[in-house]
Amino acid sequence: MATVKINGKEITVEDGTLILDAATSAGFEIPTMCFHARLSKLASCRVCLVEIVGQKKLQPSCVTPVMHGMEVLTESPVVKSARSAMIDLLLANHPLDCPVCDKGGECELQDVTFKFGPRKSPFGEEKRRFHEEDYILSPVIVQNVNRCIQCKRCVRICAETVGAGVLGSIDRGAGTGETSFVKEYLDCDHCGNCIEVCPVGSLMSRSFRYKSRSWDLRGVDTVCTYCGTGCQLTVQARNGEVLRVISKPDKGINNETLCARGRYGYSFIQSHDRLVTPMIRKGGMLEPATWGEALKTIKEGITGVVRNGGKIGGIASSRLSNEELYLFQRLMRVVLKTNHIDSSSRWNSSTVKTFAEVMELRRGGVSVYDALNTDTLLVIGSGISDENPVTDYMIRRLSKNKKMNIIIASPRGMKLDSSAALTLRHRPAAEGEILSGISKVLYDKNADQLNDLSGREQIKNISKESVSSLTGIDWGRIESAADFMSSSKSVTIVVGNDVLRGPSRLEFLNILVGTLRLLGKEVKLFPVFDRANQRGAWEMGVHPAILPGYSFTDGNGLGCEGMLEASSRGEVDVLYVIGEDIVSDFPDGRFVEEALRRVKFLIVQDMFLTETAKMASVVLPGASFVEKDGTFTNQEGRVQRLRRFVPPQGDAKADWEIIAAVGAAVDPSFNYGSVAGIFEEIKEVAPMYREIAFESLDGNGAIVKAAGSSEGTDLKSVPSAASQMPSTSPDPNYPFVLITGNHLYHSGRLSLRTDTLRDILSEAIVEISEEDAKDLRVGKGDKVTVKGERYEAVLTVHVNKRSAKGVVFIPENFTDVRVNMFFTKGEGLPRVRVLPLTGKSHGGGIK
Amino acid sequence: MLSEGAVKEINELTGKYANKRSAVMPALFVVQREYGYVNEEGMREIANILGLRPVQVFEVATFYTMYNKKPVGKYHIQVCTNISCSLLGADHIMDFLSQRLGIKVKETTPDKRFTLSAVECLGSCGTAPMMQINDRYHEDLTKEKIEEILKGLK
Repeated sequence: MATVKINGKEITVEDGTLILDAATSAGFEIPTMCFHARLSKLASCRVCLVEIVGQKKLQPSCVTPVMHGMEVLTESPVVKSARSAMIDLLLANHPLDCPVCDKGGECELQDVTFKFGPRKSPFGEEKRRFHEEDYILSPVIVQNVNRCIQCKRCVRICAETVGAGVLGSIDRGAGTGETSFVKEYLDCDHCGNCIEVCPVGSLMSRSFRYKSRSWDLRGVDTVCTYCGTGCQLTVQARNGEVLRVISKPDKGINNETLCARGRYGYSFIQSHDRLVTPMIRKGGMLEPATWGEALKTIKEGITGVVRNGGKIGGIASSRLSNEELYLFQRLMRVVLKTNHIDSSSRWNSSTVKTFAEVMELRRGGVSVYDALNTDTLLVIGSGISDENPVTDYMIRRLSKNKKMNIIIASPRGMKLDSSAALTLRHRPAAEGEILSGISKVLYDKNADQLNDLSGREQIKNISKESVSSLTGIDWGRIESAADFMSSSKSVTIVVGNDVLRGPSRLEFLNILVGTLRLLGKEVKLFPVFDRANQRGAWEMGVHPAILPGYSFTDGNGLGCEGMLEASSRGEVDVLYVIGEDIVSDFPDGRFVEEALRRVKFLIVQDMFLTETAKMASVVLPGASFVEKDGTFTNQEGRVQRLRRFVPPQGDAKADWEIIAAVGAAVDPSFNYGSVAGIFEEIKEVAPMYREIAFESLDGNGAIVKAAGSSEGTDLKSVPSAASQMPSTSPDPNYPFVLITGNHLYHSGRLSLRTDTLRDILSEAIVEISEEDAKDLRVGKGDKVTVKGERYEAVLTVHVNKRSAKGVVFIPENFTDVRVNMFFTKGEGLPRVRVLPLTGKSHGGGIK
Repeated sequence: MLSEGAVKEINELTGKYANKRSAVMPALFVVQREYGYVNEEGMREIANILGLRPVQVFEVATFYTMYNKKPVGKYHIQVCTNISCSLLGADHIMDFLSQRLGIKVKETTPDKRFTLSAVECLGSCGTAPMMQINDRYHEDLTKEKIEEILKGLK
C-alpha cells in the first residue's frame, strides 16, 4: 500500500495505482483525452499532466503510478496553465465546427475545453485540412479526419479489443490522422466501437447522422437481447422514435463495447411489418381481430382439450424474459397440465439436460471475469467470435493483460484464433471426441492419480488412432492441448451451444472435468449461448425435464422434436409457440411444415408474421425488448433488467401480459398483474433467484446462486450418447459437411429486419475454407450452388482463411435461403457439394 | 504482383529479426524498388508475407518520408530543409531548383525526369546545405554546383 498526498489530502491506495485513479478516488477531477481505462496507455495528449512535488517536470497522471510518500498537485497554477496549453494544442488544428458536428453536446473535447481550456488562443496559423467533405468509411461510419485529435482510441480499440485492426494512424506529426488503409471502404466487424470511443466528431455513426442533438434524446439503460453475453446498452429515442443505441463505460460487463447487432440491430422495433393486431384464421385466411375475439377463440380451442386430456405443447423463445418464460411454463404445467414444453427448436432436449448437468448450471452463475481469470482457457463448440462477439472481445483483452493459454477447438476459423496458443480444427460434431482425446493424454500420464475417475474404463480403452481419425486432428496437437492443461493451475472450459445441435458425447466433457479436478486443477465451466435468455429459459423450467430452479423431473414431457413428431402423427391438439420461427429453424424444414399442418390448433405469438405464424390458427402480436419490463439471465447466470421505454406498437402487448391473458381465459384464477409480482413468485420457486432484488438491479445485474439443495451433479449419471458425426469416409459426390450458426452481423431472425444490419449484409452467404476455395477456383463474392441431397441454393462465397477443409458454413439468419431444408431429421449434419456457377463472378449482394 | 525474387528477398529479411513483422521497413524498400514507389498492392503483399494488417504497413509507409507514396521521376531530388541546411540557405536551394526545373515541391516534371521533394535531416549537417538525388548525396551546395550536377544527369 502507498500513502500519498493529493492536493494536501492524504489517501492510501494499492501500490502501482495510477495517480489519475488515486486522484479520482480522492475526489479530484483530472481531465483526460487519449486515456481510456480499458485500452493500452498512450499518454500522448498530455492533458492529464500533474505536478509531483520535488520533480521539475510535470508528469502524465494516466501512466505514472503513485509512490509512497508522493505529494501530487492537480490544481496548482503551473498544472492549470500547462493543461490549458495542452488543450490549446489539441485545438490548434481542430476545426471548431461544433455547430455542424454530430458530436456537439457530447464531445469530450468540448467539455474539457469548456472546463479547463484556454479562452483565447495565440495560434493564428492556418489549420491543416485533410479533406473538404466528410467521407463514408464503412456501412456504419462517417469520417471527418479534420476533427481528429490523434488520441488513437479508435486504433487501439479496433486492434486490442475487437481484434479487427483496420484503423491506423496515417502520416506523421501535425499531419497525422486516424483512418483506414488507403482510406478504403471498410470490410470489418462494423461494431461501431471506434465511434463510441472517439472523443470528438471524427468517427460518426452513419445511421444517427443529423438525426438529433444528444440533449434532445431520452434514453433507458437496458440489456441486449441478441446473444447470451448480456451486454448493457442504452437505447435513446426522440419523440418516441428510437434513434440509436449507445454503450456506457461504467455499465455492464461489456464496458462500452458492443457488436454490430447490439449497436445497430434495433430498427425492427419500428418496422412496418410489425404485427399490430391479433389475427384469427377464418376460411383459410388470417384476418385481423380484437384481443377479445382472439382470446375467445383460444378459450374455445383449448378448454375442451384440457378437459379431455388432449395433447398440448408449448415452445417459447429463449429471447423472452424470465418472467415470461416462467409464466409460460406455469401456464403449460399448471393450467394446461402438460410437460411438453421447450425453448429451442434447434436442439435436442435430452442433450440440453445432459449439458445443464455437466456444465453444473445448478451450482449457480460464474462471472465472466472469474471464468477468464485462468491459466488455460479451452473454447469448444462455439464460433465465439461470430456468435458472442463481446465475449470474444473480453477474452482477447484479458488474455493480453495476463498470460493465458487459449485453446480453440472449432471446425471454423475465427477471429479469436489470433490470440490462441493452439487451435484444433476438428471435423464437425467431434467436440466430444476432442475432449476424450485430451482426457486420454492426461490419463496416460497420471493414471496412478486417477483411480477414482468415473469413466476411467472408457478412457482407458480409447485409442489415439480412432480419436485422430474421428476428429481429423493430429495426436500431437491433442497432446499439446493436454500439456497446456497439465502445466496450469486453473482451467476454464468455455462450451458453446453447438454441442447441443446433435447428441454430442458430453460424457467426455464430464470425464475431462473429473480428470482435471482429480489432478488438483481448479476447473471452471462457462457456457456460451447464442440466445440472450437461454440460461434463463432453463432456469425458469421451459424444458420438458427441468422445473424452475433446476429441479429435474423424469416426467413424460416432450421436447420440441418430440412434439413435432407427435404433431406429424396428428396427435397434437394444441401447440402454443412464442417468438420461435420453428418452420425456419428446426433442422428439417419439410418435416416441420408437414408436422405443423397436422396440429389441430396452433397459437403463434410473435412480433412478425413469421413462416410459423403464417400457419397459425390464431396469431398474437408480442412486444419488442424496449416495450416491456422484465429480467434476463445471461450465460454467466447474471440477472439483468430489461426496461420498458416505449409503448408497444399498435395493439401489441408485452408477452407476459398475453400469456397471463391466455391463462386467465382458460382458468380465471391465473391472475398476474405485474412483472415484479411474477419475479417474486420466481424467487419463491427457484431458490437460485432468492437473493435478487428486482427493483434494485443495476447495470451490473446480480449473479444467481446455487440451486439450494446440496446434491451436486452425479458424475455417473451422464449418459453415453451415440454421436451423430458425419461418416469419416467422405462420399465423393458430397464431399463437404454443412454446419450452421449465426453470422457476425446477424442473430436469429430479427436482425435481418433492421436497416443498418441489412445494409451490411442482407443475402445469405456460404463460407468455405481457403483451401477449398482454391480447389474450386472461387473467391469472395463469387456465386456457387450448394447442393444437398434434398435442397440446393445459390449463395455468395466468403472465404475463411483458417477454416478446416471440407467444411461449409451457412448462417441461419437469412430468409432468401432456407438452410434448414438441407437437414433431414435424425440424420445429423448434412453432406453437400459446392459447384461454382459457370462464368465468372457476378459480384453478389455483399457490400 | 511482386516478382519471385522480391518475395524471396522479403522472406530472407525476416530472418534478421526476432519477430518477422520487424522486417516491414526493409520490405517497403524492396516494394519501392520493384514498383518504383510504395503502392497499395505492394503494401498488401508485405502485410500478407509478414502477418501484419495492411493498415499497419500503411502507417509505417506514411510515417517515413523515404518511402514514395506516388511514382517519382527518374531523378528524385530530395532537399534537406531541416535546421542546419535551412540556416545555410536550403530555402534558396529549393527555390532555385524549383525555378530551374519549372516544378513546385512534391511535383514531377512532365517528362518524368525530375521529382522535387523536401525532406527532413539526412544526417549531413556538417556539409549543409545538401540534397540527395536517388542514392547519392550532393553537399555544400551552391547554385553553380547545382547547375553542374543537373548538367551531369542524363
